Amino acid sequence: MSQTQALWWASESFWRKTAIWVTAGSFVVLIFLTFDTVKQITAGGKRVPAYSVINNRIDYVFDEKRNFQVPVIGPEEPLFGKKLTEEEAAALVSHGKLTTQAKNCMNCHTLLGNGSYYAPDLTKSWLDQSWGSKEVREQQMVEFLMNPQDRLHNALGRKMPNLGITEAEARATVAFLKWMSSIDTNGFPYNFKPIDQADAAPAVEAAPASDPAAAAPVQQ
Amino acid sequence: MLEPVKLADFFTVFFSAASVILFGASYALVFAWSRVRNRPRLMPLAYAAYVGLFVSVIVLAFAANLFNNTFWTVIVMLMLIGYLLAPHAIWYLCVGTHADELEDGHADTSAAGAAPAKIFQQR
Amino acid sequence: MAALGTLSTANLNGGQKLAVKYFTVAVALFGAQVLFGLLAGIQYLNPDFLFGILDFSVNRMLHINAMVVWLLFGFIGSVYWMLEDEAGVPVVGLGLGNLIFWIFTLAVVVVVLVYLLVQVGPGELKSIWLINEGREYIEAPRWADIGIVVCVLVFFYNVASTFMKGKFSGIAGVLVMDLVALAGIYLAGMYYTPNISMDQHWWWWVIHLWVEATWEVLVGCLMAYGLIKTMGVRRKIVETWLYIEVALMFGSGILGLGHHYFWIGTPEYWFTIGGFFSALEPIPLVAMVVHAVFDAGHHKLKSTNNPALAWIIAQAFGNFFGAGVWGFMHTLPQINLYTHGTQWTASHGHLAFFGAYATMVIAFFYMALQKWRGGVYMSGNLVGAWKWKWAIFLLHAGMIAMVMGLLVAGYEQSQIERAIGGSDWVAYFAGQSHRWFMQGMFWRMVGGWTFAAGFVLLAWDLMTIGKRETRPALAVQAEAAAA
Repeated sequence: MSQTQALWWASESFWRKTAIWVTAGSFVVLIFLTFDTVKQITAGGKRVPAYSVINNRIDYVFDEKRNFQVPVIGPEEPLFGKKLTEEEAAALVSHGKLTTQAKNCMNCHTLLGNGSYYAPDLTKSWLDQSWGSKEVREQQMVEFLMNPQDRLHNALGRKMPNLGITEAEARATVAFLKWMSSIDTNGFPYNFKPIDQADAAPAVEAAPASDPAAAAPVQQ
Repeated sequence: MLEPVKLADFFTVFFSAASVILFGASYALVFAWSRVRNRPRLMPLAYAAYVGLFVSVIVLAFAANLFNNTFWTVIVMLMLIGYLLAPHAIWYLCVGTHADELEDGHADTSAAGAAPAKIFQQR
Repeated sequence: MAALGTLSTANLNGGQKLAVKYFTVAVALFGAQVLFGLLAGIQYLNPDFLFGILDFSVNRMLHINAMVVWLLFGFIGSVYWMLEDEAGVPVVGLGLGNLIFWIFTLAVVVVVLVYLLVQVGPGELKSIWLINEGREYIEAPRWADIGIVVCVLVFFYNVASTFMKGKFSGIAGVLVMDLVALAGIYLAGMYYTPNISMDQHWWWWVIHLWVEATWEVLVGCLMAYGLIKTMGVRRKIVETWLYIEVALMFGSGILGLGHHYFWIGTPEYWFTIGGFFSALEPIPLVAMVVHAVFDAGHHKLKSTNNPALAWIIAQAFGNFFGAGVWGFMHTLPQINLYTHGTQWTASHGHLAFFGAYATMVIAFFYMALQKWRGGVYMSGNLVGAWKWKWAIFLLHAGMIAMVMGLLVAGYEQSQIERAIGGSDWVAYFAGQSHRWFMQGMFWRMVGGWTFAAGFVLLAWDLMTIGKRETRPALAVQAEAAAA
C-alpha cells in the first residue's frame, strides 16, 4: 500500500486540486481577456465604430497588411440624406436592433455569421450589389422590408414573409444594417464584392491594389 | 497572419482534419488494447495509426497554410508530440488510479489484470 | 412494492418521483423538437408549405428551443433521480421542487403558445420582455429568463441542501459547483444592447460555456453515478476520473470559447487562442478512449440494463464523431472563414447535440424505467426487445442521413457561396439552388422522417418496456459495496 500512497500524481486529492486550479486559472485568463475584448468591441472604438458612422460612406476593401478585407469609413454620406448626432444615430440603430430581435430575423438569417441558414447573411447586406445602385439602395431596402412577400427573391420560390414592419422600423433596420457593415470582422465574409459607391469626388482609400476581386486567390 | 485555405484544398483540409481525429483515436484504442490484453504484437499497429496521424497533421498543415507562420507551426509541432505522448500519459494515469484496486486483489488474477500492474512496477 | 413489471411510484424515492415527471415532459418536448424540425426541413424543399402561417423562423425557433429545454429537463430529472441515493437522505425542500416543476412546465407551455400564436412583435423592448428575444437558442422572452433562473435556483437549493444534510461526495461537490456556473452563466444572456458585437460576445458565453463546458461536466457527473450504480466501479476511482475529466474539459473548454470569436468583431488574438485550444480539443476524447479500454479490460461487463448500456455506448461514439471529428473538420480559422454560418454548422450541431447529450438522457430514461417497474429484468432476451433495438437503429440511421445530407450541402455552400461568390445575396441563392445542396436537403428530409419513425418507436418502447417481463433485474456486481 505504501507504493500506492507514493503515487501522488494519481491520487484523488491531487486531481481534485488540479481540477480546481485548472478551472480557476482558465476562468481568470478568460476574465482578463474579456476585459480587453469588451473594451475593444465597445461602440466607438476602432473595431466597432460609433453609431454616427451611418453618416458616412462605408466600404469593404482588401488590406494588404492584414491579408483580408476590412471596412473603410469614407466621406460623409448621411443615411436618408439627414446627418444625425451621436445620440440620434444611437437611438436609430438601437430601434433597428430591437426590430431585428422582435421580428426574429436570426431564425432565418445569419448576423455576423450566427443564426440560421434559410436566408442570406446580413453582415454586409448594406453593401450588397443586389440593391441596384447606391442612389436607390436606401429606398429599396425600406420597401423590401415592409413588403418582402411581393418581391422576386430567387428561382427557388423561397421568400421572406411579411412581418408587419412599419416604415419607421424599416428605416431603423437599414440604419442598423449600415452600422453593422462597418464592424471589423477579420475578413468575414471573404471575397465579398461591394456595391459601387464611387462618385465624382475621388476617395483616398480606393487605391487600385485594394480591389478585393484582384487580390482574391480563389477568383476563377 | 492567417492565410485562408485555397478553394482547391477544401476537401484536403476536411479529410485530413477528420483523419487526424480518427487516427488519433485508433492509435489510443489499439495502444490501450495492446497493453490491457498484454498483446505486444498489436503495438506496431498502434504506431502505424500514429504514423497515419502524423501524415494527416502534415497534410492538414500544408493545406491550411499553417507553416507560413511561426505560431501555427508551433501548434503543429505540439499536436505531433502531444498526440504521441497523450495515450502513454493517460495509460500511466489509469494504472496509477487503479493501483490499489489491483493490489487489493479485487481484480481478476488473469494475465489481463496483471499486465498493467507489471508495467506500473517497471517504472 | 408493486408487482414486478408494473409502473408504480411506490418503487421510487421522493426525488425519483419528481424525476419521472421531468422525464415525461422531456420526452414530450423531444417529440416537439422532431415535429418542428420536420416542418422546417419540408420548407427547404417546398418553401410555400405553411408560408405566412408557420414560417421557417417560427419552426426553427421551436425546433432548437424544444431541444434546449428537453435536454435541460432531462438533466434536472437525472439529478433528482440520483440525489437521494447519492446523498443518503431524502431531498430537502421536495415540496418546493414539485411546485417549481409545475411552474416551469406551465411557463414552457405559455412560451410555446406565444411563439406559435403571436410570433413577432413591434421593434420595442416590450416585445423582448413578452414575446421573443430574437437571439438564437435563448429566444425565450425576458420574463421567462427570470423564471428559468428562479427555477434553477430552487433546483440548486434542493441539490445543495440535500447534499449538505447527507453525504457530500466528490460527485456532489463537482455537481454543486457546476450548477452554480450553469445558473450564473445564463445571466450573461439576459441583457439588451444595440451593439451586435457585444451581443454576440456575451451570447457565446451562454451557448458555448453551457454546451461545451458545464453540460459536459454535468453529463460527467451523471456518468460517474451511473458507473458506480450499474457497473459497480469503485467510488474512489470514479471520482478521481471525474476530477481528471473536469480538469481536461474545463482546461480545454473554457478558453475554447475563442473559436467562436473569429468573425464577430472581436480582436485578432482570438485566432491564436481559438486555434490553440482547438488543437487541445481531442485530448479529453483520447483520455476517454484509453480509460474506457482500460476499464473494459478489468471489469467483466455484465449488463443489468441492455437498452441503457446501448445508449451509453452510442453516447461515446456520438460524442466522438459529433464533437470530435465534425468539430475538428472546420474549427481552424483558415477553413472556418468559409464554413462559418453554413450548413456545416447545422451538420455538426445535429450530430454533436444528439450524440453527446440526447443519447445520455435517453440512457437515463431507461435506467429510470427499470426501477419504476420495480427493478424489472432488462438484460438479454428481454420481452419485446425489438422495439428498443429498432428505435436505436432508426434514430441513428436517420441522424446519420441528416448529418451527411447537411454535410454535402455545407461543403457545396462553403465553396459556391462563401469562397467563390463572396456571400452576397446572389451568391447565397447560387449556393442554395445548386444540385448538391438540393440533394443534400432531400436526403436530410429522408433522414428526418426516419428519425421521426425512430422517435415514435422510442416513445412506444418507453411506455411499454418491461411490462410483460416477470424476471427481476440481474444483480450489480458488488465491487462497490466494499467502497
